[in-house]
Amino acid sequence: MSAQTIKMTKVKSAKTPLQKFGTGVAAVLINAVLMIFSISCIFPLVWMFYSSLKLKRQFNADIIGFPKSPTFENYIRVLTNKDYHLTSSMVNSVRVTVISLFFIVLFGFVIGYILARVPFKLNRFLYVLFLMGLLIPVHSLLVPIYVVFNAAGMSNQWYTLIIPYVAFGLPIAVFLVEGFIKAIPVELEEAAAIDGSSFTHTMFNIILPVSRPILTTVAIIQSFSCWNEFSFALVLCSRNVKLQTVPLAMTNFKGQFASDYPKIMAGMLVTMVPIVLLYFIFSKKIIEGMVAGAVKG
Amino acid sequence: MLKAIKPKMSVVAAFLAVPVIWYIFSVFVPLAAALFYSFFEWKGGPDKTFTGIANYVKLIHDGTFWQAFGHNIFIVVVCIVGQVGIAFILVLMVNSRLTRLKGMHRTFGFFPSTISAVYIGLIWTMIFDYKRGIINYILIQTGHKDLTQVWLNNPALVLPFVSIPLVWQFIGYYMVILLSAIAAVDNEIFEVAELDGANAFQRAIYIVLPLIKNMLMVCITLCVAGNMKVFDHIYTMTEGGPGTASMVMALYGYKVSFEQSNMGYGSTISVAIFVVSLIVIQGSRKLVEFSMRNKGVE
Repeated sequence: MSAQTIKMTKVKSAKTPLQKFGTGVAAVLINAVLMIFSISCIFPLVWMFYSSLKLKRQFNADIIGFPKSPTFENYIRVLTNKDYHLTSSMVNSVRVTVISLFFIVLFGFVIGYILARVPFKLNRFLYVLFLMGLLIPVHSLLVPIYVVFNAAGMSNQWYTLIIPYVAFGLPIAVFLVEGFIKAIPVELEEAAAIDGSSFTHTMFNIILPVSRPILTTVAIIQSFSCWNEFSFALVLCSRNVKLQTVPLAMTNFKGQFASDYPKIMAGMLVTMVPIVLLYFIFSKKIIEGMVAGAVKG
Repeated sequence: MLKAIKPKMSVVAAFLAVPVIWYIFSVFVPLAAALFYSFFEWKGGPDKTFTGIANYVKLIHDGTFWQAFGHNIFIVVVCIVGQVGIAFILVLMVNSRLTRLKGMHRTFGFFPSTISAVYIGLIWTMIFDYKRGIINYILIQTGHKDLTQVWLNNPALVLPFVSIPLVWQFIGYYMVILLSAIAAVDNEIFEVAELDGANAFQRAIYIVLPLIKNMLMVCITLCVAGNMKVFDHIYTMTEGGPGTASMVMALYGYKVSFEQSNMGYGSTISVAIFVVSLIVIQGSRKLVEFSMRNKGVE
């Protein structure tokens, strides 16, 4: 039987020269289309890089050619001029992102763990409350959150953006952690309890290390959304130039130098460095994490 | 659930208190505030006047809001076809035996979706630019100087043109999600189909499509939710202009509240965005579930 199948296969897959030619054409076509797609995704980055090495006049004369006499003039100006607020915006973005991540992972883990393991009256209510966070159209909060923060005197402070970023990151974190922890056998904690480990000790010293994969996923998704977030930074923090995050500083920068494209490109590339490096070094992990987050959420 | 261990409720409450209050303060308090202020005439200062449902009556007759809503729907539809549709075609290609450099296509394709929407908007503003943009450059080089124009200044074209960056940014994102769904399917299925003489088109329609239909539906719901909230791209490219030709709901709420400093009416718009988005997102989800159940019975 199996010998027969193999024979059949061979007969089927034997191809006439014409078919081989057809496959060859298909292969070239498919690879060409995919290549064009991939290049289109990366082209802006490449174009911006070599264009940023030109001066404004050279760029306006020839927008697509390579620079004839490359110069780092734009980078020097972007990095040294304090009025552009680009370097300080990067410090702000790093601070906001790192602190937000810390709280999202910590709170997400604690809440997710408690909701998955501890039976109490409000358990399902809290679960639904956080699940609602996934359904609420966040952009409808844009104006109201300004109203509330303004009334509370909490807008335009160094901590302002951390508050909504953590709150908006929590639902997906809680949801992912809760699902992950439910799959861990309870015996693990019971054994720890017999050995005299307290609830808090078990949670942080036994379950936390086991949950590392899901917490990494949460951290990956949220690091991109915090770093890239724009609209809430715009309404909550635009009055204080010193507190601007990268996307906010870039829109102002663009407004100032609307016609000096190479300089804008230099500014964009400099402020993109952290996220681009992170992406290309850990791309496999990042893609996995983002897909897992998107699909389960 | 734990049964053998009973943690003290005071400990549990202590762990939950801060994050839950934090969360409620940033999500539900603003919602309540929006609902409250939506019944007032309020310019953001200390004075406000209760006007009942006057703001809601105004909203129902507000052509710009409904125009913006229409634009949101337009963008959603364009993005479902563009993002998920093109992604599906690319997935078929990447999945082909003939394809080389699959890893590179994944990494490069996914890259734009990790970049801030503001940057995407800025990059495309430069590409669309009249004097220094790539589109007009290509048109001039190929001898079509008469076709060049200020792309984002044409009320008839601006909406499709601001949709291009949105579509472009997320094709790779959906491509990777769909690829992960295909990777979960046993490869033998594709091989057997090929041996049975199914051509590429038949394989796509009768084998790949049904296998990843669930994931396609997930992508469509993600796409709807993602594009109802579109703001950053359009803010950076056109600020809703020329006129209101590329206005979307979130941007309109922002403009009314901060540029006309009409916080009362801005709150009403926020409530409306909340309700309308929820209806569209949940509606599309239900529709998708319903259509899947129907197919399942067949």
